[in-house]
Amino acid sequence: MGILDKKLSLRDRNKMLIGVWEDEDQLVATASKLVHAGVHIHDIYTPYPVHGLDRIIGARRSKLARIAFFCAITGFTLMTTMIWYMYVHDWPMNIGNKPVRFTPSWAPVMFEGTVLCTAFGMSFFFFWRNRLVHGIKNETLDIRQTDDRLIVAIETVAGMDEKAILDMMKKGGAVEMREFENGVQTVI
Amino acid sequence: MGHGHHEIEVKQEQFVFSPKAKRFSIILMVLGLILTGIGIATMDNHSENHNSTTVAAASHESHGEATVHGEEHGTAASASHEEEHGNVPNEKFGPRVVFHHQDKPASTRIWANMLIVGYFFLMISLTAVMWYAIQYVANAGWSSSIKRVPEAIMTFIPVAFVILMIALFMGKNEIYHWVHYEHLGLKPGDAGYDKVLVGKSGFLNSNMLFIFPTVLVVIWYVMMRKLRSLSVAEDNATKGDSSFFKKSISFSAGFAVLFGFTISVVAWLLIMSVDAHWYSTIFGFYNFVTHWVTMITIMAFIVAYLKKEGYLGIVTNEHMHDLGKFMFAFTVFWAYLWLSQYLLIWYAQIPEEMAYYQIRFEDYKANFLGNFFMCFCIPFLGLLMRSAKRNRYVLAIIGSIMIIGHYHDVWLMVTPGVFGTGMTFGFMEIGMLLLVGGIFMWWVFTALTKRGLIAVNHPFLEESVHHDVGV
Repeated sequence: MGILDKKLSLRDRNKMLIGVWEDEDQLVATASKLVHAGVHIHDIYTPYPVHGLDRIIGARRSKLARIAFFCAITGFTLMTTMIWYMYVHDWPMNIGNKPVRFTPSWAPVMFEGTVLCTAFGMSFFFFWRNRLVHGIKNETLDIRQTDDRLIVAIETVAGMDEKAILDMMKKGGAVEMREFENGVQTVI
Repeated sequence: MGHGHHEIEVKQEQFVFSPKAKRFSIILMVLGLILTGIGIATMDNHSENHNSTTVAAASHESHGEATVHGEEHGTAASASHEEEHGNVPNEKFGPRVVFHHQDKPASTRIWANMLIVGYFFLMISLTAVMWYAIQYVANAGWSSSIKRVPEAIMTFIPVAFVILMIALFMGKNEIYHWVHYEHLGLKPGDAGYDKVLVGKSGFLNSNMLFIFPTVLVVIWYVMMRKLRSLSVAEDNATKGDSSFFKKSISFSAGFAVLFGFTISVVAWLLIMSVDAHWYSTIFGFYNFVTHWVTMITIMAFIVAYLKKEGYLGIVTNEHMHDLGKFMFAFTVFWAYLWLSQYLLIWYAQIPEEMAYYQIRFEDYKANFLGNFFMCFCIPFLGLLMRSAKRNRYVLAIIGSIMIIGHYHDVWLMVTPGVFGTGMTFGFMEIGMLLLVGGIFMWWVFTALTKRGLIAVNHPFLEESVHHDVGV
């Protein structure tokens, strides 16, 4: 799986500090405090979108829209070329004595081709980017992050005051805290 | 961030119709009047052929020469015209309708333009009610902070309706050839007897022309008043009382269903019937979307203006972004319906369907293609990027093009059917748009001052305050 973004694999990163929340408002407030204290939050895993978190942890805008645009251009070009080759160049067809070049009847083909390429392209790139490819080992930090818990992951760096961060998380309403290193979790 | 589960307090705001805005509105009206005047002064005046007593007869003669079902249908002029374009319709349906705008008295242009502009603004105020109703039916929260804007737009229904009715009353004989045909009282076998128009006379008759729109507009108006009064009653009720909200949902659902079914009929009766032999089942919905996207653009303009003047403190760029998305989305939807109507008729090439597009494509080619360009190409490419939707200057430029484009779209639906060939989108058309646009602005801004700008007791107001479309 060399083509996949290795940086996203939690296994290959430094030790992680994991905090588990039940309440999203407390999570948002704490994440905000952590960021203001200068802590870099690796990611936050939530079973549903929590408004404001993306801005707090400084998530960059998804490139998915740009990918969609280029997929659309590809699909549009592909279908225009295809219909031109089939319908004009290779075997011109007389349908109801209509002209063959750039007629309104091309529009549905162009439109459908554009939509098809965009939809498949976006799905493909989305799954690829998020490592949701068949054969990849599941790296869910906590199985409850797909159900009713909100998980914060902070990557430790040299010289980081881990104690202070854990204190802040505890005060901020974390119901559980753990360490994650080389694929092993230990409850603190 | 204010993400606690505590009650937020949103302050009520009172809009003041500033002298500057009043001046702008008056400038629009005066400019519109001047341009309309120039338009009237410079139009081809052929009324010497049509004094008031012979208007009907004279116009029918010229109409009869070329009309589809007349005895004289094979005139040399029209036949050679057909061959030039390589489109010789089936003899069974007769040749293409070829008549020139000089065949109608000059005053027709005034009434036809009044019809267009009245219909345009009537539909805009009606789609505002529809938009408002859909927000309730869909339980939409994000829009609750801007709901006073469609609430103000919808008050324009009576004014637009009066303009429309004057146009119908004054110009019905000239605008609608089926009204004119009705007065002839022809019997089967008479020269010029039109089986198609007789077949449609149960729906297309001059009683229907006045009664149907009046009844419907009165019903819609009453429901609109009810929705508006529920909204202001909610403001004055105790905090947390959601009974008005629930009642609004019921009324909105009723309105949405009624309006959705009946608006097509009005479009058929008032606009599609200028080409009375022609029909398109998608026409009503196409009309709805044309005005719907215009109304959203106007709403975005008003919200942006209020923001600029320091009102609507709780409305953020996120709301503007969503309005931009609405404009963009329905631009695409408009193009979808436009193409659906055009493509099927183009492919099938049935003469009585072709008549509508033939004149528009051959004699109004620049208008026809320019219309698609203004209503689809420019807004689609212009509003595609996220940053464009969040920039109010881009929205203003693209939105202005859209408003003119969709007004021109209605013009293109009516004019070739009424006048035949040789009309231009000129001073009078622009003048009428500016004139009624100025009245519209005055009326809507006055309506905005009548109640607070924020629906302070709306149950979803907090959701709107926190509305965020993400990075």
